[in-house]
Amino acid sequence: MRSPVLNASGTLGYGVEIEPLWGVETLGAYVTKGLSIKPHHGNLPPRVWEERHGMINSIGLQNVGVDRFFDVYFPFFKKKRTPIIVNFFGFTEDEYIACAGKIKPDRLIVALEMNLSCPNIKAGGISFGKEPRMVFDIVKKVKAVTKIPLFAKLTPEVKNIVDIATAACEAGADGLTLINTMPAAGFDAKKRNIPLKGGLSGPVLKPIALRAVHECSKAVSVPVIGVGGIMDAMDAVSFFMAGARAIQVGTATFIDPYAIPKIIKGVSDYLDANGHKTIDDIVGIANNV
Amino acid sequence: MDDIEGKILSNKKIAPGYCLLRIRLSRSMGAVRPGQFVMMKIPGGEVFLRRPFSIYEYQQRILTIMYKVVGKGTEQLSNAPKGTSVLTLGPLGRWFTVNRSATPVVVAGGIGLAGMYALIKKLQNKAPIFFGCSSKDEIALLKDAMRFHPFIATLDGSYGFKGNVVQLFNKHLKGLNGKNVEVFTCGPENMVKSLKKLIEPYKISCQVLLEERMACGLGLCFGCAIKTTDAQEPYKRACKEGPVFDLWEISL
Repeated sequence: MRSPVLNASGTLGYGVEIEPLWGVETLGAYVTKGLSIKPHHGNLPPRVWEERHGMINSIGLQNVGVDRFFDVYFPFFKKKRTPIIVNFFGFTEDEYIACAGKIKPDRLIVALEMNLSCPNIKAGGISFGKEPRMVFDIVKKVKAVTKIPLFAKLTPEVKNIVDIATAACEAGADGLTLINTMPAAGFDAKKRNIPLKGGLSGPVLKPIALRAVHECSKAVSVPVIGVGGIMDAMDAVSFFMAGARAIQVGTATFIDPYAIPKIIKGVSDYLDANGHKTIDDIVGIANNV
Repeated sequence: MDDIEGKILSNKKIAPGYCLLRIRLSRSMGAVRPGQFVMMKIPGGEVFLRRPFSIYEYQQRILTIMYKVVGKGTEQLSNAPKGTSVLTLGPLGRWFTVNRSATPVVVAGGIGLAGMYALIKKLQNKAPIFFGCSSKDEIALLKDAMRFHPFIATLDGSYGFKGNVVQLFNKHLKGLNGKNVEVFTCGPENMVKSLKKLIEPYKISCQVLLEERMACGLGLCFGCAIKTTDAQEPYKRACKEGPVFDLWEISL
């Protein structure tokens, strides 16, 4: 990949929406919105809620479906010669398998990212990502139907994320994306109600994500992509040092639509200023004191 | 469209709970059309996400926003003094399109006027304007629109017609009925609902400016979903496919 900085799934639309400001070719790879075998309509509004240092969302994986993505949007990435990572999910095990099996290998598809961690759908998503045994089974089955490198995107809301990560790798995952949002609730004090329950993201999540990246990257031999609350270049650098080979930026883009290009430049400036040639020089150098 | 720095020129309380904000932008944000909005934030402030605001007026790099203080974001904004730096991303969203063959009519409720004023100004005196609010305290919202002689309703009857704006519009609807009318509207959900009920039998076309909680304003997050009547696409984005929608394509 040209750059180790990616977008987090679902935080850069279908890629075309950011065009008026900057082009997707800026990214190491574009991570697609979570795709399912059939189009999915998502959840009732309200879908977003602000917290002091983060936000809660309950989009519910609204998406046009995997077929329509490849018909309508993939040509845009081909034209721009921008690699993509296809994030996908299912409501059943069969849907995961069918969705992954449908995606034909292509020079521009660098990986599939299997969402085992969305808190916003009633079935599927997070329910497959909670137990090592279930993670092992579903990753193994999906791995059997695709030749494309497979990343598993995991939830931090488990007893021991290292056990989950290990199970995914034993089943053949080629990499891990850590972490997804944390299940949370918003509260409207004026109206005295809970306007939504959903996934918490933003800076409030960063230390949780960093711990998961640090512990899992020590335990497995596959590459780890770090994601959770990365707001600037130093946040990104800390994830590399904790063991991530690439990082994803999500919520930061909503606050500053130029967050990704700024982080790309900032990381490069940091490497130059400290005499490092590539991020390989800093990946995983941080140890517990 | 871009993210542009600006400085607050003035931030005046124009009525209890309502303010008019004027910002000088460091550079032009390009052509602004009626109904479009900006995502705004005060850098370094307590507020995490940007907030969407309708563009009340824009000329010569001066952006004017009329807003109601409703929560943490607008509360913070209302306390921002002259000279405060702001970031404005815009202009965003789909705008009102005026069909030349129809007679335009504007129906605005309360702070809904903030999103309608640019259109009112563009239409000059071509459109009858119906404005409704709670009481005479809010008549100050009409400060610029008053020159276009709006029909005014207050819920408490303290100014103009006593009742809501849809009832007031209904009184004039018969007179307009012969003409090919197109309604442009923005206001509280209940107002839009009763307007819809009123004009449904007449098959009047209507463009409505809607609001929803937003995170990005750019169509990236799918947070600002608006329910539609289309089974194939039951949710559209207020920021991208809207905020101006065909009233008959949305589900209220």
